Amino acid sequence: MNALTVLAPKDQFGAPTPEELFTLPPIIPGVDWFTKPVLIALLSAVVVIGFCWAAFASPKVVPRGVQNVVEYGYMFVRDQVARPFLGKDADRWMGLLVSIFFLVLIWNIMGVVPVVQFPVASHIAFPAVLALSIYVLKVYLGIKHQGGVGYFKNMMFPPGLPKPIYLLLAPIEFLSNMIIAPFTHAVRLFANMFAGHMLLAFFSMVGFWFLFEKLTPLGAPIGVLGVVMTIILTGFEMFIQFLQAFLFAMLAAMYIGGALHAEH
Amino acid sequence: MSEQERRPETDGRDFADAMWSVPSYLLAGMAVYGGIGWLLDRWLGMSAFFPIGIILGLVLAGYAVYRRHGR
Amino acid sequence: MSVLAEVSGNVTAIGYGLAAIGPGIGVGIIFGQGVQAIARQPEAYGLIRQNMLLGFVLTEALALIGLVAPFIFANL
Repeated sequence: MNALTVLAPKDQFGAPTPEELFTLPPIIPGVDWFTKPVLIALLSAVVVIGFCWAAFASPKVVPRGVQNVVEYGYMFVRDQVARPFLGKDADRWMGLLVSIFFLVLIWNIMGVVPVVQFPVASHIAFPAVLALSIYVLKVYLGIKHQGGVGYFKNMMFPPGLPKPIYLLLAPIEFLSNMIIAPFTHAVRLFANMFAGHMLLAFFSMVGFWFLFEKLTPLGAPIGVLGVVMTIILTGFEMFIQFLQAFLFAMLAAMYIGGALHAEH
Repeated sequence: MSEQERRPETDGRDFADAMWSVPSYLLAGMAVYGGIGWLLDRWLGMSAFFPIGIILGLVLAGYAVYRRHGR
Repeated sequence: MSVLAEVSGNVTAIGYGLAAIGPGIGVGIIFGQGVQAIARQPEAYGLIRQNMLLGFVLTEALALIGLVAPFIFANL
């Protein structure tokens, strides 16, 4: 299915399907990996680097302009993400957490920027790579700080339980910490962006169809409803996008903090 | 956690830690014991062990998360 | 009678959507009331936290049962 099929006239209203929305053709014919989300992801990385460069290349004691804005974001990440979960190690990990937060935020914001309008994280490859790198870092730090045996012992055998219970609970603990946790870390971001993009596409399609393609007296109110819902849900989406970027950085900080210090 | 080191900051961290790990614990419990039940069903040609395994896994995972974070 | 509307796709998706309503409301109530209780009585934090965790585990379990119910009933 290519982009032209979407624009082909139909005689009945059809809701947009995931194939139409998320299977995009390559921008340069023949270069299969270079699609729209890849381009937006690269652009977002450039935007984040550019913003941080503009802000902190020559920092002033009294911040002005761009430095003011980025410093506000930095302080948000430090006070809401790093310090509650990492305590006194917070300053060491600020670079990683700020990068992740701003990158995911710009990725998500691209979903409502006019013309671009594609949340990069709605292709699961992008959040999966970020979650995988956090997972590798988590396991490395855990083995480094708690020892190879100690890390798995702290994870699978918390003290203070009768012996037969360990036999039942150890596989659950292992699977939960080693496989399901990074999986849900990626899927939370992916599913929210995927569903949000589908929702916006559906309601704007309703508005476009009933007001422009097939304007009928009975259909017009539905079209107006679709437009109103699109506007409301765009505002809601912006909130969700910010929240998901925050949660992704927060979970990363939580996993790093859990690897640095054994629980209890 | 001992009483004298109970501070609001670490309390908040432990709380978030507990709440965010609940879904992955429950999914892992269902996967392990539901998977064992499914294999038993295939082996014995029955259909009873899969639901039993799912419920058992949920109960055990709830117990695990409660013992680890609940006090 | 002519067909007015039709649904294509997997019916179990609708089933899980319906099954997720109850746990969604339940989790909302648990955390809403829990935060309110902590705000009213910060000294009872330990007890409230313990019961919030228990309630959240039980409610979340319902949502996950809804997730596997299609696989269970597929064989019947």
